[in-house]
Amino acid sequence: MGAIDWGVMWYAIPYMLKGALVTLQISALAMVLGSIVGIICGFLLLSELTPLKWLVRAYVYFVRGTPALVQIFLVYFALPVIGIDIPAFWGAVVALGFNAGGFIAEIVRAGLQSIDMGQTEAAKAIGMTHRQTLQYILFPQSLRRITPPLTNELITLVKGSSLLSAISIYELTRSTQLIISQKFTPFELYALLAVFYLIIISVLSKISEYIEARLA
Amino acid sequence: MTAMALLHVHRLSKIYGGVPVLDRVDMDVMRGEIVMIVGPSGAGKSTMLRCMNRVEDPTEGEVVVDGVNMAGEVLNGTLVADTSTQTAAKRRKIGMVFQRFNLFAHLTALDNVAIGPHRVLHKSLQESREIAIQLLDQVRLKAHAGKRPSQLSGGQQQRVAIARALAMQPVLMLFDEPTSALDPELVGEVLEVIRNLARDGMTMLVVTHEMQFAREVGTRIVFMDGGRIVEEATPQVFFTNPKHERSREFLRRVSRVDAEPRGAG
Repeated sequence: MGAIDWGVMWYAIPYMLKGALVTLQISALAMVLGSIVGIICGFLLLSELTPLKWLVRAYVYFVRGTPALVQIFLVYFALPVIGIDIPAFWGAVVALGFNAGGFIAEIVRAGLQSIDMGQTEAAKAIGMTHRQTLQYILFPQSLRRITPPLTNELITLVKGSSLLSAISIYELTRSTQLIISQKFTPFELYALLAVFYLIIISVLSKISEYIEARLA
Repeated sequence: MTAMALLHVHRLSKIYGGVPVLDRVDMDVMRGEIVMIVGPSGAGKSTMLRCMNRVEDPTEGEVVVDGVNMAGEVLNGTLVADTSTQTAAKRRKIGMVFQRFNLFAHLTALDNVAIGPHRVLHKSLQESREIAIQLLDQVRLKAHAGKRPSQLSGGQQQRVAIARALAMQPVLMLFDEPTSALDPELVGEVLEVIRNLARDGMTMLVVTHEMQFAREVGTRIVFMDGGRIVEEATPQVFFTNPKHERSREFLRRVSRVDAEPRGAG
């Protein structure tokens, strides 16, 4: 191994920043989608609507039981075959969003169930329906408890977005690979890539800690 | 069933794993009555209250409140069970106060009281909060309206819980050992609020271990043991001349306990 080529790092940084922006965009959109899907599904897992409950269970079972890469391939390669053709960027958001949604559904369900039974009984006693109890009493109280696992899910999602390099989306990992293929400096650039992810995830963790403290 | 009974209970039972915790209880309560339910722990007192408003599903039996069957509608002699949404609507008429207060932990005292009128009765937030302020004033907690449950004493929390139940304008109030979780010096303020409600003519069922209070405020004493009603009498008769041996035994025991410092629960 020769001396470290610092120059190539300076050369790569602007391209990698562009890639990082794509990573953040896709991750943020997927997290929003995943949270919406996950909260709705988490409620449904505890609802009295049995058919929907089974549908959600099947969805969670699928998401947990298959690799994220396979799910990405399914959205990117299989959906166009059955006539659903969405741009690669949005395909990536959908694939990662529904992946996160399955895990968030379980996080939300566990959070709602962790609240003291007395809260549910008191809500019942003033005539609240099951849905009102979940929405107005249990969910607000579960927010603080679900923030740490949600952060983990967001971190998993950001890291998992590197899988999108396999379907030629120029996010952070793919952008870096492109420069490596031109400059043949894998050590410097993969190391730099790792640093990029570390910085992104450290910032996200800090934000999450702040939110958690505010919800206290 | 007596035509005028506000609450009619017939053969109400709850069976847990083959054990009847509540065993075919019959009871009629008239408007304005204050029924004090006493008895040893495990007698089924709390279970009876919880089966009345269906926070717990009774195994069998009938509960009719103000002419409304709590389980469903009887059509052609058969009971068509309510959906959970219908049950929820019927529960509004019955206020319940719990031993452990169960105030909504994320809401202020004000919003604990206002959330029922707002979310269940669909009144505007402003109107709901006006109702809440008035009720908090009634339990003398107006000054604490902005506090969270964790910032209130047990006695204050229980008074907020009473206001929360009253906000739904119930025709009947159920108190499930309302002072059992309180420090001794906080019991009085909660009993005072219940006493005032009694004075205003609210119909109430109170499970309690406060015998002095039961005697002073109750219009009827119901003594339960082993899931059944053993004796029903006026306070005067029950505390001076109980008919059943088990009632006498119970009264002997609580008078011993009362003489000592209060234990837990």
